Amino acid sequence: MRHPSDGTLRRLVDEPAGVADTDREHVAGCAVCLSALSETQRDAEFAGAALHHEVTPDADAAWLRLSGALAAGAPAPAVDRAPRWRARLSRPVIAAAAVVALLTGATAAAATDWLQIFRTEQIAPVTIRQADLLRLPDLSGYGDLTLTEPARIREVPDAATARSATGLSVPEVGELPRGVSGEPTFHTGARVSAEFTFSAEKAAASASAAGHTLPPVPPGLDGSRFRLTAGPGVAAVWSEDRGVPALFVGRAVAPTAYSSGVPFATARDYLLSLSGLPEDVASQLRQFSGDGRTLPVHVMAEELTSSTADVNGTPATVFASRDEVLAAVVWIAGGVVTAVAGPLSTDEVLTVARGLRWQR
Amino acid sequence: MVRGDLEQVFRAAYPRVVAVAARVLGSRTEAEDVAQEVFLTFGRSAVPAGEASGWLSVAAAHTALNHLRTGRRRASREEAAGASHSPVSPDVAETVLASEERRRVRAALARLPRKQAVALVLRHSGLSYAEVAAALDLSPGSVGTTVRRAESALRKELGHASSL
Repeated sequence: MRHPSDGTLRRLVDEPAGVADTDREHVAGCAVCLSALSETQRDAEFAGAALHHEVTPDADAAWLRLSGALAAGAPAPAVDRAPRWRARLSRPVIAAAAVVALLTGATAAAATDWLQIFRTEQIAPVTIRQADLLRLPDLSGYGDLTLTEPARIREVPDAATARSATGLSVPEVGELPRGVSGEPTFHTGARVSAEFTFSAEKAAASASAAGHTLPPVPPGLDGSRFRLTAGPGVAAVWSEDRGVPALFVGRAVAPTAYSSGVPFATARDYLLSLSGLPEDVASQLRQFSGDGRTLPVHVMAEELTSSTADVNGTPATVFASRDEVLAAVVWIAGGVVTAVAGPLSTDEVLTVARGLRWQR
Repeated sequence: MVRGDLEQVFRAAYPRVVAVAARVLGSRTEAEDVAQEVFLTFGRSAVPAGEASGWLSVAAAHTALNHLRTGRRRASREEAAGASHSPVSPDVAETVLASEERRRVRAALARLPRKQAVALVLRHSGLSYAEVAAALDLSPGSVGTTVRRAESALRKELGHASSL
């Protein structure tokens, strides 16, 4: 008989009544399973000890507090019972990403009264530890962020429609990697833009709440505006039977940033001084964004590795998850960023990238 | 509109809701804040009374994990302040070590896939396999697999040399 699964062994540890008699009998007489069971038991005990936290809450006091909040009409917080992937991109993560985007000048708008301060011509990975990313404050603590053009992503019937909707030619893959087959679905995304207005008052309040004093605000920064735009973009996505993406090939107009007047470096350096980022990360951001054309892409040290490569003469950055499940290659040419990604090896994404053909 | 059975459900479920959040956060203060958020939402919800216990436990786990990911440090500051005049922790080095271990556990939980983290915390909070399965839309068979993966990852992450 086959060995019972890891999950069955785990249940045997603390709910043996839920395990079938045949499995229990097998494990009792199988050296392999007994050894695995012992390891399972050790891990379970370890987790139990790690998660142990004895609390004796005061229910009466808590009920008074809750009754008070309900009587005062406190709004119900957004408690999420079963978050979908969108919810998993929780607000703080999006906010942190927004701070990084702003710090790195990752956006733009083509308005004539705006001074272009950043145009992506190349990218450079900046390694940020997850704990440091989480430490980044919410951008709303520095001012007001308004999404002036929201992300509108939709599926379109074919490559021609995608092209006419975005003005971007759609990549064709020369040879699909092993395990990827069939026809892709095509998706378009409209231009996304946002406007951020810096508020010294909000920044001071945030600093005060964190127990700090706001450093002097550089002249002209209070009330200054930054317009951030990226896109439009197109993507071709090949899926597995279960609907999981097997290969993604996409292009988008690369981010550019505009300011209502304040030099980008002034805002960037000031925000970096407030952000609480370790100096090694801050200096990487300053260095890479200093030329107004290199977009630093944050790489979570615990999740990803990055390396450089060459895609038909253009420098590219290759990202790979540390568990070797996902890989992506990204490069920029002519103000357009192109990415090839999927649950593939780095060699496979590079082969696809180098074999792409563009519709003319 | 506040539901009529709120106090009854609150009295029955409050200790467990706090315990679930405390396992994630390692902090009574922060866990009680999470419990308030969860009951505030529950109080205005139409969750059937029969499903309240599971709903509250899952909501506590998710909300506590969300707190981890916001990097909120308020409770840890409060705890640090509390620990400094706590009669049971006179040994500063021991307090620092305990707090460092809690920080590592929090970081490890934050890195787990969400479903694994929730299943792990619920199982260790005393929910049965059937209850975890119902709460997370899993088959009872796959609860063991999910919890096992989480425990294995936690042990790898926190290291065998830990004094936990």
